[in-house]
Amino acid sequence: MIFDISHRTHYRYSQPVAQSQHVAHMLPRATPHQVVLSSALRVDPAPDLRSETIDSYGNQVTILDIDTPHEELVLHATSHVKTSLPPPIAAAPRSSWTTALVNGPRLPDGTLDLETIQFRSPSRFTPLSPAIADYASPSFADDASIHDVAMDITRRIFRDFRFDASATDVSTPIEFVLRERRGVCQDFAHLALACLRSRRIPARYVSGYILTRPAPGQPKLQGADASHAWISVWSTDNGWRDFDPTNGIAVGEEHVTVAYGADYFDVAPITGVLLGGGDHSVTVEVDVTPVG
Amino acid sequence: MPKTAPSMPPSQVLFLTSYRREIGARGGYDEMLDITGKVRPDWQPFVEEMARLTPADRDALSDRIDRRIRRTGITFDIFADPSKSQQQWRLDPAPVIISADEWAFLERALTQRARLFDAALADFYGAQRTLRDGTVPPDLVFADRSFVRACRNALPSEGQITFYAADLARGADGGWRIIDNHTETPAGLGFVLANRVVHSENMGEVFNHCNVIRLADHFHRLRNALAERARRDSPRIALLTPGAHHPDYFSHGYLARYLGYLLVEGSDLIVKGSDLYLKTLEGLREVDLVVRCTDGRFVDPLELEPNGFLGPAGLLRASRKSPALIANTIGSGLAQNRGLGEFLPALSRKLLGEDLLLPDTRRRWLGDDTNRRYVLANLDTLFIRKTQEGTGRPGQAALGENPAHLSDEKRKVLAADIALHGSTLVAEERIHFSTAPSITPDGPVPRPFAVRVFIARTEDGFRAMPGGLAMTIDPENAVALSAPDGHTRDVWILSNDRQNPHVSLWRPTLEAARVQRSQRVIQSRVADDLFWLGRYCERLDWTLRVMRSALRRSNDDNGPSTGRYAARLCLEALLTPRSDDPDYLKHITSARELDTLVGLVRNDTKATRSILASCRGLHRVAYMTRDRLSLEAWRTLGRFDPADTWLRALTATDEPATLLDVIDDGLAAVSSFTGLAHENMTRNFGWSFLDMGRRLERAFHLSEAILTLFVPNPGGEEEQSRLLLLLELADSFITYRSRYRLDPLLPLVLDLLLLDDANPRSLAFQLAALTRHMSSLPGSAAGRAPADDRRIVDELAAALRVADVEDIAASQSAENLGALMRRQLRLLPEFSDKLSRHYFNLADETPHRVHTRNSPTHDL
Repeated sequence: MIFDISHRTHYRYSQPVAQSQHVAHMLPRATPHQVVLSSALRVDPAPDLRSETIDSYGNQVTILDIDTPHEELVLHATSHVKTSLPPPIAAAPRSSWTTALVNGPRLPDGTLDLETIQFRSPSRFTPLSPAIADYASPSFADDASIHDVAMDITRRIFRDFRFDASATDVSTPIEFVLRERRGVCQDFAHLALACLRSRRIPARYVSGYILTRPAPGQPKLQGADASHAWISVWSTDNGWRDFDPTNGIAVGEEHVTVAYGADYFDVAPITGVLLGGGDHSVTVEVDVTPVG
Repeated sequence: MPKTAPSMPPSQVLFLTSYRREIGARGGYDEMLDITGKVRPDWQPFVEEMARLTPADRDALSDRIDRRIRRTGITFDIFADPSKSQQQWRLDPAPVIISADEWAFLERALTQRARLFDAALADFYGAQRTLRDGTVPPDLVFADRSFVRACRNALPSEGQITFYAADLARGADGGWRIIDNHTETPAGLGFVLANRVVHSENMGEVFNHCNVIRLADHFHRLRNALAERARRDSPRIALLTPGAHHPDYFSHGYLARYLGYLLVEGSDLIVKGSDLYLKTLEGLREVDLVVRCTDGRFVDPLELEPNGFLGPAGLLRASRKSPALIANTIGSGLAQNRGLGEFLPALSRKLLGEDLLLPDTRRRWLGDDTNRRYVLANLDTLFIRKTQEGTGRPGQAALGENPAHLSDEKRKVLAADIALHGSTLVAEERIHFSTAPSITPDGPVPRPFAVRVFIARTEDGFRAMPGGLAMTIDPENAVALSAPDGHTRDVWILSNDRQNPHVSLWRPTLEAARVQRSQRVIQSRVADDLFWLGRYCERLDWTLRVMRSALRRSNDDNGPSTGRYAARLCLEALLTPRSDDPDYLKHITSARELDTLVGLVRNDTKATRSILASCRGLHRVAYMTRDRLSLEAWRTLGRFDPADTWLRALTATDEPATLLDVIDDGLAAVSSFTGLAHENMTRNFGWSFLDMGRRLERAFHLSEAILTLFVPNPGGEEEQSRLLLLLELADSFITYRSRYRLDPLLPLVLDLLLLDDANPRSLAFQLAALTRHMSSLPGSAAGRAPADDRRIVDELAAALRVADVEDIAASQSAENLGALMRRQLRLLPEFSDKLSRHYFNLADETPHRVHTRNSPTHDL
């Protein structure tokens, strides 16, 4: 599918901001199932310094400095992205999760595949705990493949947890989410990552969008009004495959990836440090329109 | 081995008797005595010198060192509860002595280690060859929060590590083992320097007799290397500290002073574009190099830990542009991961092509399945510890969990923890610590220790600082440098060559002096602190004077018998104006005795201008501006440390005669500091702010007293007693008498205290000084419209100039005098406010973070 995406974030401050610095992950990256046809990020007021870099995961990063006092800030990302369905899941015999990753994963030259291995360690937002290991445990049947495990965790989180944007904020620990059984896509993604990493399955956090206007008769998915988050899980059989615990599904071609990393912290759409500004309010508008 | 003296003098035999006995009973390796009880040759000169001292001499020596330690202010955690003994820093008269040959080996081994860690970091943050081929398990690196992924591929050609410290313990076999590594920060280097200065001063003869290698040369080479790294003539080098609230702040300040670098905090710095600047009174000044004494994960709130404001937002970007900007590089702490130990021999062969000379103590990394199985089966003999412990505060290594002492329940929890978090844990075995003498009143006793040794990248590559920090540990519980009781020993490295007389970096060369001078810019924050230092000093001075005058009037037969009411008014004025609590007001006015009010002014917690509050404030700002004060000035102010005996003496008694003595001591200390500052401080902007603080406070108190005592004017005898009190408080009695030879008359007193700009106690004098300082400050150039602060001072001075003494003193209601004084009292605080906003706002403003989350932004 081809999408037109518009992602507009508007900050309003009660007092002028003397100086601000922002890091934005708002321009979609390429993936094996996604081609970025075009993308742009407009910033108002015009930054005094703007630099585009690629981080160690290959994501597009925009760094912005504004030294002139301002009371509003608008970041408006637009892009044109083509997605395709991932290939079908590998046929049997599929390796059990218990043996699939022993001594690996490795690259064709026999050396360790660090780009994958780096995603199996716990991270800031995915700390491990006995409670999380316990919650994850039923999904790790001995004969299950990694794909089975990931799908099961994805479905269980969808079933066991309630979407509630007021229950958590950006720094709510997953322990709380697990106890309260409520949260948003970001929380569910972190929880799913922690479950997988508790058995050292490489899994990463994906920040992106899903189709906001479903086809007639189809339900609108949760998370469509804003940027969305889900996970990507690695297995020897299938490589990286994406799962959306917020909606309980394996990801097809209606998800658009912006960036991925160990967790939210690596790929937050916008983070900033301000001098001054007082209180602030923010509105985010996301529009994902299929155009072909 | 050279022979020990065959016929030992009786004094030495006596000196060693009980030590010998204890060593015999204890077993294990002792540094001073060999297995047969003979003094090791390298210790012989020390034993000779110490044995010559009488027990009383040795006690006196210990006391002298103790006093010097306290005077120098060596301490963990300045703001900690002073009653807790664990915060005390103690330095033993006995050093740990290491022979030249042994040191030669250690230096080779430890500099090899520094090279190895440097190469390992370059690989972990670069090509990751040794992770790819499994020499080091990748999970060990990826699970370590000290691995700062954002620093990948930003490698300075000057190297990752400038400062490395190793903790060593000597095994029962006499061989040294590395029990911990520190690659994150200089890890307490300032403490060793301070210890050495105190020790060499007090052990003079013994020190010289033993031919100990000095430290100065090492620091000289280090400084040259850092200057070269900064790539500029007269570089501006800053030592980045978390601030005065960090327990190791003393060490940071001492090191900065010794090296002649600026001591800065995160809020002193700002990144613009990709360059790093220091916020000074004169605007932004580029910083060429940062010596990092903060945890690297907290130095950039934009890209690293979101709550890490120990550095400026954007620092990482600046260090990507200039990779050599920060030493050690951000992320360098990764190399100190305890789990690395078992992989170091292979890593050394791979990266250096050399065999590792000195291994780490035996540790098993619990991210490895085999290790995990072994450890779970042998829990009782092992200690479980974290792979990382931050910035390596000396003596603060955690003790680790010994499962042998755990209940079954807790063992299960531990086992689960190991299963989940094995990648961040190690298991280690109990180790042997050798003993060395500690001098006590009963003679030397053997005490187990571990030692921290410091390696630095100097102009000729890595070198070990010839010295170290030995700390007494409890061998039952420690497997690393865990020394909660703060008992330290200097480490003497002996030389085979004759050592030159003492050279110290305190006496810089002419070239270094020029560099120093150009570096003496004033951070906005420091100016702010100096301003408050001036204010607190003067406030303390005034309050003590009021207390003294009140006490003299309350009981003492020799003092002025009248004037009690006047004194009472002044005490009340000190207590009331900032308290809007009506009950408290009642509490004050119902106090019958002057003594009660004196007690409140002394240490009532609700009184914002109490002696206690001023001492706390004074101590805090003095500590934060320490590197701007002379040693004598700092020591003088040490009296007002709330933990010091002076404040305790002041609060311990209500007996007037004793109190008066203590107050006089305090006043002498304040004036001694004022004198020292006046005589010794460079007349730079820092001095201006210190003096402005004092002038402002003095003007305020004087105006307040005049308003309190003479508006309205009671007339008659009461007026006389009030005039006497005012002259006493303003320290102008003698001046008045010598000038007028009359009993005090209000117009004459007001002339002297308000208008006479030759009297350093007069209001006019204070305002003139403020005006003068304001004109000298940056941003006060002619032609520009004066700033608010300057306008207020001008206004106050003008109001005073047009005042006519006869007129203001005339009417009994003293309306004009009241108006004049009230205006001062209103505008002086406003002046302080505007001044802060004008000069300190850069330092004041705290940045904060914003972010959007991957979800509806409902709660933002």
